[in-house]
Amino acid sequence: MKKTVIGLAAAMTLALAGGAHAQGYPTKPVTMIVPFAAGGPTDIIARIVGDHMSKTLGQQIVIENVAGAGGTTGITRAMTAAPDGYTIAMGHLGTFSAAPATYPGLKYDPINGIQPIGLAGGTPILIVARKNLEANDLKSFVAAVKANPDKFNEAHAGLGSVSWTTCTLLKGQLGVPKLNAVAYRGTGPALNDLVSGQIDFMCDQIVSVSEQVKAGTIKAFAVASAQRSPALPDVPTTTEAGLPEYQIEAWNGLAAPKGTPKEAVDKLVDALNKALNDENTKKRLLDLGAVIPTATDRTPEGFGALIKRDAAKLDPALKSAPR
Amino acid sequence: MDMFSNLSLGFGVALSFQNLALCFVGCLVGTLIGVLPGVGPIATISILLPITFGLDPTGALIMLAGIYYGAQYGGSTTAILVNIPGEATAVVTTLDGHQMAKQGRAGIALGTAAIGSFVAGCFATVVIAALGAPLTKMALLFGPAEYFSLMVMGLCFAVVLARGSILKAFCMIMLGLLLSTVGTDLETGQERLTFGIPALADGIDFSVLAMGIFGFAEVLRNLETPEARDVVRAKIGRLLPGWSDIKQSAMPCMRGTVIGGTLGILPGNGAVLGPFASYTVEKKIAKDPSRFGKGAIEGVAGPESANNAGAQTAFIPLLTLGIPPNAVMALMVGAMTIHGIIPGPQVMTRNPELFWGMIASMWIGNLMLLIINLPLVGLWVKLLQVPYRLMFPAILIFCCIGIYSVNNQPLDVAFTAMFGLFGYLLIKLGFEPAPLLLGFVLGKLMEEKLRQALIISRGSFMTFLERPISAGLLLVAVAVLVVALMPSMAKKRDEVFTE
Amino acid sequence: MSLNQIERARGLRIRSSQDFAAGLFMIVLAVLALVLARDLPMGSLRQIGPGMLPTWFSIFCAALGLLQIVGSLRFNGEALSGWSWRGVIFVLGGACVFGLTIRGFDFGPIRFPSLGLLVAGPLVMLISGLAANDLKWKELIIFTVAMSAACILLFKYALSLPIPLAPWLLGI
Repeated sequence: MKKTVIGLAAAMTLALAGGAHAQGYPTKPVTMIVPFAAGGPTDIIARIVGDHMSKTLGQQIVIENVAGAGGTTGITRAMTAAPDGYTIAMGHLGTFSAAPATYPGLKYDPINGIQPIGLAGGTPILIVARKNLEANDLKSFVAAVKANPDKFNEAHAGLGSVSWTTCTLLKGQLGVPKLNAVAYRGTGPALNDLVSGQIDFMCDQIVSVSEQVKAGTIKAFAVASAQRSPALPDVPTTTEAGLPEYQIEAWNGLAAPKGTPKEAVDKLVDALNKALNDENTKKRLLDLGAVIPTATDRTPEGFGALIKRDAAKLDPALKSAPR
Repeated sequence: MDMFSNLSLGFGVALSFQNLALCFVGCLVGTLIGVLPGVGPIATISILLPITFGLDPTGALIMLAGIYYGAQYGGSTTAILVNIPGEATAVVTTLDGHQMAKQGRAGIALGTAAIGSFVAGCFATVVIAALGAPLTKMALLFGPAEYFSLMVMGLCFAVVLARGSILKAFCMIMLGLLLSTVGTDLETGQERLTFGIPALADGIDFSVLAMGIFGFAEVLRNLETPEARDVVRAKIGRLLPGWSDIKQSAMPCMRGTVIGGTLGILPGNGAVLGPFASYTVEKKIAKDPSRFGKGAIEGVAGPESANNAGAQTAFIPLLTLGIPPNAVMALMVGAMTIHGIIPGPQVMTRNPELFWGMIASMWIGNLMLLIINLPLVGLWVKLLQVPYRLMFPAILIFCCIGIYSVNNQPLDVAFTAMFGLFGYLLIKLGFEPAPLLLGFVLGKLMEEKLRQALIISRGSFMTFLERPISAGLLLVAVAVLVVALMPSMAKKRDEVFTE
Repeated sequence: MSLNQIERARGLRIRSSQDFAAGLFMIVLAVLALVLARDLPMGSLRQIGPGMLPTWFSIFCAALGLLQIVGSLRFNGEALSGWSWRGVIFVLGGACVFGLTIRGFDFGPIRFPSLGLLVAGPLVMLISGLAANDLKWKELIIFTVAMSAACILLFKYALSLPIPLAPWLLGI
């Protein structure tokens, strides 16, 4: 018994050691940190894209969910890891563009202190309201909110979440930053209370709310993108509905620690690009209501510029939000 | 009838060879990870998510659902044998289940849990099939105010649940509530009571606290009193419940199913309350409540049935509304969206084979669990015969790996050790840790719901009394509390006079 | 003589050291929480601040602790029992060593290496095994090797958890 056990252990060690001597990056599995719990929108995009990237890289991409503090815990761990190309992270609008204004003690600098890889997917943001609210379009809704802000309750999924970030931007632009905000742990419970009419409106990613809108249990005022979403072609864009300045998308993108070797970055950019060109992967992302990124946004430079652009857009609203 | 044609469609889907195999694999994996302390269904389902990419959505969801209720099943095994609740819902099972194991009735406890879960599972499947759609409306009746009152009622139940001093039980609940406030404030993002430690920024993880004050502290307690643990392995006793055991547990099992099934539908993880509520009810209506906490079979049958019924009815809000009531169901949403099915009110009409196939597979899965588990009962009980000097290092390595894998945070393991010390201290001070865990679980939700309700009512406490459901729940809470406190006060007074 | 006088005659003394310590324990924890929460804004009923509930829960905890102490002076109860350091040191120490070495950890100037499951697993079992008073070395070592191998196969390969195996040796 004893011999077998020791023999088995030894054999296993040898077999494992044997596998790790290939040439060039990557020679071992790459860890992709997802700073949110498994099953959320970011996690799903990471898994869909990571699945295909593994094929191009010839090494497994291991998804590691490190949730906490609006995603900044996981991104902090990834951005302070050894810059060897074996630790990358899938962040989103919140962790890269909104975090500096949301979390004053942030331990990474998303503008200058990271190595962007590329955008993986964008999800349109929808302004939705309970079905029996008087207002029936964005214009009358905006007018009602401005006239009587105290009558409205907005729901969001906690400080730092996409729904909080995008709704805070909306409230800032409407000039009602102090509007009653009801915090929930996750958009699921918030949606429940919106369907049952306990709260009046919220902003959320199209994938979480589109079925409810189709079923008529809640109503959608506008989608905050340049184009209408194929998932809900009847919902106007904010430009069409009369609030052109409210343009925001909940994107997800890959980044590595600053100082990651160029060879590794290039290979990762290439793998991401191939994944986004793959019909099957594309279809999966489109099913989620996601927008496939343009060629520019898939490059490190394009993605870096997007982070900077959105940070500038969000900064004033987030900093003046009541805490 | 419509329901029968739907169910036959479902069974047609679920009985295909591939789906049967997937259901079996799911149940087996679920049982395994449920038995291992620390590795919960959340971690496992998220890891197995990519594997399901290649399957069709129905098969994938059948397997993932199997893992989920299989884990609920397996979790009670660990709770009974080694007194570690792997999931919040197994906390109550430790109270009488582990006592039964100590009395050499481990096999009967495990058998009762398995049969109770099966009965509850069958019942819950029928409920989902028949009432899924209308019951959804119930979930919509519960706003923040109702939910807060429900939590208050849950905490009052916890007082009744207590063994020993009621004052000490109160202390534990309050401490649990206090611990639940540790971490970043949801609304303002301010850190509370964290000592500035980043790992505490998101609060204390349930598994860290539970493994610490139950798992590690139990090991410390057992090391101290070698006699107590030897009793567990001296007598193994019968493996299957006898006729008198079945008679005793039949009614608790039915009541537990109804209670657990009802609470499971509520949004925001109402299923957690099921086992607690069932235990309280059993203790209240028992002829001799003093047997509870000392190995009463009703204290295993009721909560275990409630647990399993709640685990299944928790699918109702997901399948009919598309709203996940807890973290595992949120993962299910993820699994469905990966396969291009956006959960919502339209799943039932647009993907009937998925909806009814899943429901039918739940019943099949429950039958499989019974078949897998009953022969295993003997094996699990034999595990108790492993000398304790070898058993506790094994428990420890499982706990360490499990805790690490919850968040991939090494510091969590050290925190668990700290809570182990804390739990050992609690034992030394005569505190019972179960109410602390309940206070902790409910505390987060309670604060969230209280704040939501008060923002919506613009700061008026009357909202809790003006809404009829909320007022009713508070009334029950007060009644339970009065009933629980009266005899104990009388008893204390007696002690003064007889001293 | 009335009962009250009997009480008084006995004087105030600690009748249950366990309950007395329990009360003290509650008060200490409550005061600690109050100190930590002192700077958090309380908010108003309409908009409850982050400090409101921690403060109130601490006050309740302290009050319950006080009741416990009063009770310990009036009613007889159990005395404090002994404390076993052996278990605390080896069992909890073993777990801490696992946490510190599984993927490495920086603690101020001290740097713990990232040893991975291949080393941290056996370490936790061997260290904690020392806590047993009927320790048998040979048996423990064999069992440790077997359990560690089983855990690696189960968690790393069967369940494929993202847990480091042996970064210093295998790079994963």
